[in-house]
Amino acid sequence: MITKSSGVKAAAVCRELREAIGAVKVMDDEITLVTYGRIRHGFDVMWPFRKPAMVVFPETREDVVETLKIANKHKFPVTSVGTAAIFLGTTEGGIILDQRRRDKVLEVNTDSGYAVIEPGVSFDKLTAALRGTGFKCSVGTMPGPGTVLGQALSRGSQSFTTHYLNVILDLEVVLPGGMVFSTGSSHFPGVGSHLRYGPYPDLAGLYTCAYGAMGVITKAAIRIHPVNEAYRVNLAGFDSYADSIDYVKDLTNHNIPEHTIIWNWHMYMTWPLEPKDMKTVMPGILASDFREPPEGTPYNLVSTFFSGYPEQVELYEKICARVAEKYHGRVLPAEEVDKRFPATGAGFRQQYEDFHYRESVHWSKGRFAGWYVFAEPKDIKEIEKYAASEFSKFGKAINPVNYYSHPFDYGRSVLLRIAGFPDPADIELRKKIAAKFEEMYDTAMKRYGAVPIRPTGSEKAGTYIQVLASIKKALDPNNILNRDSGLFEEGDL
Amino acid sequence: MKLTAKLDDVQAAAARCLRDGRCTYGSWPENRTLCPLYQHNPSFTFSGGGYLFLILALQDKKIDFGASVAEFAFSCAGCLACDANCNLIRCYQPYAGITDIIRLLRSEAVRRGLVPAGARKVQEQVKSRGHALELTGKVAKANSILFAGPETDGAAIKLLEKIGRPSARLAEKGYSLSTIYELGFWEELGPFVEAAWAKMKPLKDKDFIFVSPHLQDFIVNRFPELLPDYTPVNARHISQVLAGAFRDGRLKSKNTGNVKVSYHDPCYLGRGLKIYDAPRDVLAALEGVELVEMARNREDSFCCGAGVMGDYIPGLSEDTARERLKEFEATGAELLVTACARCREAFRRVMPARERQRVRDLTEFVEERTQ
Repeated sequence: MITKSSGVKAAAVCRELREAIGAVKVMDDEITLVTYGRIRHGFDVMWPFRKPAMVVFPETREDVVETLKIANKHKFPVTSVGTAAIFLGTTEGGIILDQRRRDKVLEVNTDSGYAVIEPGVSFDKLTAALRGTGFKCSVGTMPGPGTVLGQALSRGSQSFTTHYLNVILDLEVVLPGGMVFSTGSSHFPGVGSHLRYGPYPDLAGLYTCAYGAMGVITKAAIRIHPVNEAYRVNLAGFDSYADSIDYVKDLTNHNIPEHTIIWNWHMYMTWPLEPKDMKTVMPGILASDFREPPEGTPYNLVSTFFSGYPEQVELYEKICARVAEKYHGRVLPAEEVDKRFPATGAGFRQQYEDFHYRESVHWSKGRFAGWYVFAEPKDIKEIEKYAASEFSKFGKAINPVNYYSHPFDYGRSVLLRIAGFPDPADIELRKKIAAKFEEMYDTAMKRYGAVPIRPTGSEKAGTYIQVLASIKKALDPNNILNRDSGLFEEGDL
Repeated sequence: MKLTAKLDDVQAAAARCLRDGRCTYGSWPENRTLCPLYQHNPSFTFSGGGYLFLILALQDKKIDFGASVAEFAFSCAGCLACDANCNLIRCYQPYAGITDIIRLLRSEAVRRGLVPAGARKVQEQVKSRGHALELTGKVAKANSILFAGPETDGAAIKLLEKIGRPSARLAEKGYSLSTIYELGFWEELGPFVEAAWAKMKPLKDKDFIFVSPHLQDFIVNRFPELLPDYTPVNARHISQVLAGAFRDGRLKSKNTGNVKVSYHDPCYLGRGLKIYDAPRDVLAALEGVELVEMARNREDSFCCGAGVMGDYIPGLSEDTARERLKEFEATGAELLVTACARCREAFRRVMPARERQRVRDLTEFVEERTQ
């Protein structure tokens, strides 16, 4: 077991690092250290304050290699972070490796359909780089300034995941000893990143949801998708989640959506708000019961993005209308959406048609408290009822209660992410919510066969974690990567 | 923001920061870096969010409020880029932008007697000039009041005479009101604001024409927060008046030779007052003048660095001006025109003496090129 780094050791590491990669890339002034001391998900007193000994800003892969080699030599902890939220805590007295300065889009391959990016590339940067190339990337639920890789590695919700589980094709990884390797086809000299694995096992999987514990990612190839001649964002309204799921499954089974998401009414009303709407739309939402939308307001909206030749898109629209009716819903014409939910319509257009991410000002209501699970379609219907019932017990204090839900891998698994926004200062309520979430995960796993999207405690994962721990020990024998997080603790937000 | 606000009052708003860096860069799809601190040193710390987290760390007693915190607080250029791009913080009580929250941090430094040398020097200059507003000219006959400081008002007066607009002057010795607000000397500001308003109130039936964007922004955007009896005044920037005069033919251009110019949007005229078109309309109305834009322009303009008063990053103010001048040089323009005396001086300060006349004030430039 490694003991916590001492001040003397930190000074030696800092000195060596400055010599190796340059002084301007290694910051250890007090203001930098305290502002990086609680970066996990905003400066939140609910999470421990862990002041690093230094923050390193690599500008090249070699800077990362040198940093890890020096840290490994001194058995000094390192946590790799990007911009926006991270899912694991940092390490007291360690190095925070902030890769924000590595933000180049290295390649856009429009033949195969992938982009090679550095870890600091944000969604905004990538979507801007893809403009005019005839390709688009996933639309996440992250803010535009959030990093593509940060979300991909945590397998966050993204558009186009209707057709697969993850956007990652290939990763370049640096191990604590300084070894660099690629997980996909670019491992072979002169070969591009078009193939995730083969002829050997899928190593990218080892780094997905590993939160930097198995190595530091320095480059990634991610899927991009052609912008077709015609496209639409079709919105259909339903009065029940079960009907929404049946609709989504039906469309997915018929290969219609490139992407589809179910939104509850609190979410579709508040997610795309402009600042001015916080004083007009939001008060009504805060005073409402999320289970009971006003008369005429659909409980769920399903956004379905599809594209192709114009004739194909026209046909898909007709099919959506017919299938929606089959499941007791109806397609909402764009004019109706603009009239009744103008912010919602504008938000969808901006996000799905222009790939420009909406700023989520509804987050100003409170501290995000989210509960996420995957389940099979039949089970997710029950889980939604269960989660809604449990969330309703907190009353309006956590409004808006926002959820979205969408299929991965052609609907083999469906995600439900439900969140409330309690007052950050109401620690008692937030503790109650955290305890409730634990209970809900247990119940959802046991009763409904749910799988949490974020780590919820290694004891639940049994031998899976034992195998991972063995791999971790082999790759990181000095346990310098994300040390305070154990392997995958502290994952739930 | 109330002048009596304390750091406690912004703690909850600061805690809303998602650390996503939206405060550092401009609009999609260019996403150009706009925050001078971040441009100089890309790090979460050196961003609007970094300031918010510092305030939270201070409140959480993770760091003492010492001289380095004060230097840091005064190192923000106050360019409003964070406010233009992050709406999350201002959507929560006290509904203040990040820049105002940083000013509150400065005011706390002032309250503790921790004023960096650069800021102290400016404050002493302001103090020596005094805060009083002096009304001159034939007020009864005037249909407008030129609200002007000493640096650029000469050209403005001549231009108003050219367009036959009778004006009196409400002269401020320096930019006292806005300067002491921006520097965080809030405890001494209240009486001066009230005195200024008392002078302005009887003149409310007239147009107030501003040369300084800082002063106009302060009066238009801050007086409503600071004065319980404030009612809006008809405030216009000199560039808007000139653009109108060109349109209706009261001001005529004379061709004194062809010249290619670039226009630097001052932060407070642009992001503060949202006046982007008028200066460009004025330049477009001048014969022989070709306007070429810098890569960062309008709401995505980059600051001149004049507002940096702290020394947490040595040379930040000058480096910021140089960064902007590089962008100007890339346009191939001969002259850089701006509409703020602070910007003009910030650029000239880092230029060789023989080059300084390449930076021109809009009113001076227009005065020279009109009949």
